[in-house]
Amino acid sequence: MSTATATERRNRTPWIVSSRTIVFGAIGAALYGALGVLSFIIPGTANVAIRPAIAIIPFVGARFGPIAGFFTGAVGNALVDQIQGFGFLTYWNWSLANGFIGLVTGLIAFYTPEPKKTGAQILRVALIAFVAVIVGLLFTATDLLLGNTFEYWFFGAYIPAVISTSIAVVIIAPVLDQAWKPLQNLAGR
Amino acid sequence: MEVSPRYLAGRSFLGRRDPRVLIGVPALTVVVAAQVEDLRVMAALVVIAFAYYASARIPLREVRSNWTFVLVFVLIMAGINGIIVGAQASATSDDNATLATIPLIGVPVTIGSISYATNLTLRFLAIAATGFPLAFSIRPGDLAVAFARLGLPSRFAYGIDLTFKFLPSTAASLAETIAAQRLRGYEPPPTHNPIKKVLQLRPLMVPVTVNSFIDAEDVVDALDLRGFGTQKRTWLRQLRFGAVDYLVVGFFLLLALLATTASLTGRMPALWIF
Repeated sequence: MSTATATERRNRTPWIVSSRTIVFGAIGAALYGALGVLSFIIPGTANVAIRPAIAIIPFVGARFGPIAGFFTGAVGNALVDQIQGFGFLTYWNWSLANGFIGLVTGLIAFYTPEPKKTGAQILRVALIAFVAVIVGLLFTATDLLLGNTFEYWFFGAYIPAVISTSIAVVIIAPVLDQAWKPLQNLAGR
Repeated sequence: MEVSPRYLAGRSFLGRRDPRVLIGVPALTVVVAAQVEDLRVMAALVVIAFAYYASARIPLREVRSNWTFVLVFVLIMAGINGIIVGAQASATSDDNATLATIPLIGVPVTIGSISYATNLTLRFLAIAATGFPLAFSIRPGDLAVAFARLGLPSRFAYGIDLTFKFLPSTAASLAETIAAQRLRGYEPPPTHNPIKKVLQLRPLMVPVTVNSFIDAEDVVDALDLRGFGTQKRTWLRQLRFGAVDYLVVGFFLLLALLATTASLTGRMPALWIF
């Protein structure tokens, strides 16, 4: 039994693209788009918005794998831009950065064992999501190609985005994960 | 609660184009705009970009709020960023007298920095003008087919299609959940604390998300039963890339090639100070 489980784990790969990957990635992107209406500006700032729906990206990455997470982030962000009128690809680098949040979450979650205690599980998801936000949003450095300075990108875009995104993902992603866990066990997936 | 993409191009010039044109042109515009520093060349690019935008015949009343947001965003970004960078970029110019100094940060406002900021503003306007038709002149159902024809693996292209199909039901589920929670007394007190605000959204986000993923299990089963991904996928919607489409994309491709060649050979004009 234990040998079979070990072999099964060795044979598993985070890069499998199945119908589940596509459907859960797509539903995640649609949720990101639909729940995007719940965004709000942080009082006292000019344009730093918190988009709580962004927590869906690390949740999908952690539960359904890095490909589904990447799809949710990249397509979800592009979808929001499309709905708001900027075009699907205008902020392509921010969409990819959102995608990388899901990808990094999925990879870290895949290679780190899930603890047994609930408190530790919550902490694990929150930490993974936080690290993924820091790493994933680094891709927005491609703003420099459009003429932005490093200082402007770092202090005007990257740091505010990391702060606002982290607030949402650290609070919401573990809650979503804990809500989904019993259902996943029930479905035997 | 408007969460669906809008199609506003009708039978306009861009409305009749192959969707791949609407994807390719903004991408090529980014390539060109990122390399142009001369304000006069950038102004010409903006004229071309807005001529392209005008050919979509998108009613202004429908996109006024979108343009307002873009203009505010571009002006703030170009204003702050352009003035700071421009001061450094044009520091070596002879006719670069300081007009004023920004308090607190002590950055000088020069004719050079204003030229740079104007160039940056026009750059983002050109990109936005070619990006808008992609948002409003392409039928949502055509986007996935277009990406598949551009080489995206068909399963991912289908995923994009699926995302647009899920969107209305997800939005309806959110509206239902808001109504249901209100009936149960959900009326969060107003607060300025962003953490409290996020916490207050949990009773809405959790049920909508979990229910959507439970419902998605049925879609997964349906796709598996139909052998999704086992064979090469074909699309009911046929796209035809006509002669006019070639001309439009060819024109922007030519601009991108010219800009890239000029940059690589050092012939791209540097910052022009008015």
